[in-house]
Amino acid sequence: MKRTLGILFIVFISLVLIAGCTEEKPPGEELKIGVVASMTGSASTTGKDIWQSAELAADEINADGGVYVADLGKKVPIRLVQGDDESTREGGQKAVSRMITQDNVDILVGGFSSAVVSAHQQIVAEHKVPYIITGASTPIITRRTDVDTTYMFHHAPTCDDSGSQIILFLDDTVRPAINSQYNFSADRPLRLAILYQDSPYGKGHQTAIKNTITNSSLNIEIVAEEAFKMGESDYRTVLTSIKNTDPDVIYVTAFLNEQIPIETQAMRDIGLNKIFTAVEPNDDPDFYKGVGTYGDYSIVQSRFSPYTVPKGPTEAAYNKFVTDFDKKYGGFPGMMGVATYEGVYIAAKAVEDAGTLNKTAVRDALATIRMPQMVENMQDQTISFSPDCRESKFELTMEQLYWDESAKETRPKIVWPEGLKETSFVLPEWYEPGQD
Amino acid sequence: MVVSSDLIIQVMIWGLYAGCIYILLATGLNLIFGVMKIVNFAHGELLMLGAYITFTFYAVSGFNPYVLLAASLPILILIGVIIERTCFRPILGTGKLNEIFISIGLIYIIQNAAAMIWSDEWRTIHSPFEHITLKIFGVNLPLDYLIIVITTISILIILFLFMQRTRLGKAMRATSQNRKGAMLMGINVERMDMLAFGIGAGLAGAAGTLWVVSGQVFNPYMGSIPAVKAFAIVIIGGLGSIPGAIIGGLIYGIAENFAILTLGGAWKDAISFIILILVLIVRPTGIFGESAE
Repeated sequence: MKRTLGILFIVFISLVLIAGCTEEKPPGEELKIGVVASMTGSASTTGKDIWQSAELAADEINADGGVYVADLGKKVPIRLVQGDDESTREGGQKAVSRMITQDNVDILVGGFSSAVVSAHQQIVAEHKVPYIITGASTPIITRRTDVDTTYMFHHAPTCDDSGSQIILFLDDTVRPAINSQYNFSADRPLRLAILYQDSPYGKGHQTAIKNTITNSSLNIEIVAEEAFKMGESDYRTVLTSIKNTDPDVIYVTAFLNEQIPIETQAMRDIGLNKIFTAVEPNDDPDFYKGVGTYGDYSIVQSRFSPYTVPKGPTEAAYNKFVTDFDKKYGGFPGMMGVATYEGVYIAAKAVEDAGTLNKTAVRDALATIRMPQMVENMQDQTISFSPDCRESKFELTMEQLYWDESAKETRPKIVWPEGLKETSFVLPEWYEPGQD
Repeated sequence: MVVSSDLIIQVMIWGLYAGCIYILLATGLNLIFGVMKIVNFAHGELLMLGAYITFTFYAVSGFNPYVLLAASLPILILIGVIIERTCFRPILGTGKLNEIFISIGLIYIIQNAAAMIWSDEWRTIHSPFEHITLKIFGVNLPLDYLIIVITTISILIILFLFMQRTRLGKAMRATSQNRKGAMLMGINVERMDMLAFGIGAGLAGAAGTLWVVSGQVFNPYMGSIPAVKAFAIVIIGGLGSIPGAIIGGLIYGIAENFAILTLGGAWKDAISFIILILVLIVRPTGIFGESAE
C-alpha cells in the first residue's frame, strides 16, 4: 500500500512539474501581456470584467494562431499574466513591479482608477514598458510632467472628452427644446447646475464643462456649483441649495453609488423636477435597478450600454463580444471590460506593426497605430493615439431613459449624436424649467 | 441664496433623519465601550450586515422591509454574541493593542465574507412607501423618513426602559460604572459583556435596515464611512454615554447639513470635526462623558 502511494505521489509530482515546464515558453516564444486588474478589494467586480475580457481577446487571437512577429518569422501565442492591484495604490505598485521584474511582461494592459494607476506609473516609467491604460479617466494620467509617461497610452474617455460632449449635447439639443416648449426667447441661456464629486475626477469634469462653454462660446449659464465628498449618501441639503438657484438641468459627476441616491433624493425628497445628466460609468445594469422610476427621462452618457446598441459599423462586433462574454463567463462585461478587450487587440497589433517584442519598438508602433474601431465607437472610426497626450478619442452617445413596464426599470434610447440617435430628446410633463 | 425659515426647518429635518442612523450606530458603540471598555472598529461592518440581511430576506420573502427589522435585529444580536465569545473574550484585558487589531481584522473578515456571499456589487431595495411624501407645515417629509425617526425613537425608548427597569439592564449599568464592584456584587460581568456586544450589534443591524429602506445603496465596503461618523459622535457625546450618543448624533446630523447649506458640500465632514475639536477643548470627556474609571 505504501509503495503504491509512493508511486502515485511521484507520478503526481512529475505531472505537476511537466505541466509547469510546458506552460511557460522560453523568452521570445510568446507575447506576455500583464493585465493590471483589481481582482480583490472594493473594485473587484470591475477587475474581474477587465481580466475576463482580456482573457477572451487573448483566446480569440490565439485561436487564430497568435501574433505575427516579423523578427521571429512566425506567430507567437499571447500569455496573460494577472496583476491584482487589490483595489489599492500599494497593491498596484506590488503587482506592476512583480509583472515587470519577475514575469518579464512585454506590455501592460488595464489599470482601473486614476488614483491606483497614478501610483504605479513611476515603476512603469523606470522600466520603460509600454502600457495601454484602459480603466482610468483622469487626463492627468498621460499629461503629468512629474513622471515620464511616454510609454503610456490612454484608451478610455477622459473627463475632458466626457464633459465636453455632455455640454455640447445640452447646448444643441436640450437648450433649444426648453426654449421652444416654454416659449422662451431662442437666445435664452441654459441654466446649468453642476453637482460634482470632490475628487480629481469630479473636478476634471467641472473644468471640462467650463472650458467647453468658454472655448465654444456656448449659451450656457452656470448657476450653481456644488461639491460632495466621495462615497457620500445624503444629498438633500446640497440639492436644496441647488433648487434655490432654479436651474434647467443638473449635471452630476458621480459614480453609481452616488448617482442613485442623488436622483432619488432630488425627485422624491426635494421635488427637484429637472433633467439630470449622469456621466458614462453609470450606464450599468445596477444603475437602472437602483434608480427605479426616479431615472425616468434622465440622461445618461454612454460608450458601451447594457441595454442599447448603437446602430452602425460597431453593432455586429458589440453583439459578438457581449454574446461571447456571456457564453464564457455569464453576465455583462462592463465598459472597463470592453476597453481592455480592445486593449489586448491594440497590443497585438502594435507588436505586429513593430515586428519585434522590443519594448521601445512596440512603444513607437503604439504611437503611430491606426486600426479600425472595434466594439466601441471611436472618432473617425479609428483607434489611434493623439500625438501630444497619447489618448484615443471616443464617440460617446447620450441616452434618455424611459420607464419600461415589462422590465420594471427604465431603459435607454440614444438621443445624441444625430448620426447614432434612435429617438429624439423629450421633456417630460412634470419638468419645471428655471426662471426665464 | 435666500435662507428662509422653511428652508431652515427642512434642513433640520434632513439633519434629524441623518442623525437617527448615526444615533443607533453610536449608541451601540457606546454600549459596548461602556461595559467592555473596548472600541469596536468593525461596528460599521455590522451595519453593513444588517443591510444585507434585510436585502436577503426582502428578496426571498417580499415582506415590507420595515418588518424585516424583526429579522436583522435578532440575527445581528446573535452575530454580536458570537463575535464577543470567539474574538474579544479570549483577549479581553490582555492589552488595548490586541483589542484594536482584533477589531481591525474583523473589518476585513466581515467585508470579504460579505463579498463572497453577496458579491461586491452595489445593491438597493425600494421601500413600498418611497413615493409617499407628506407636507407638514410647508415642509416636504417623505413617509419613510417619518417612519425611520419614529422607529429610532421607539428603539431608544425600549433600550432606555431595558437599562433602567430590568435587572439585566441595571446589572449592565453597574458593570459599566464599576466592573470590579459589579463582580463583587455577584454580577456575571462576562455575561454582561456578551449582552452589551449583542445589543450593540443589534442596534447596528437596525441601523442597517433603516439605511436600506431609506433608499441608500450598499455594498460590502460601505460600513466604514458611517462608522467614522459614529466614532466622532461618540467622542462628541462622551465615551460610554448613551444620552451623549443621542445628543451627539443630533448635533452631528444637523451641523453637517447646515455646513452644506452655508459653506458647501466639501465642508460637510470638516464642520463636524471642528465641532468635535471645540467640544474636546471645552470638555475633553465629551458632552456627557465622565472621567475614566
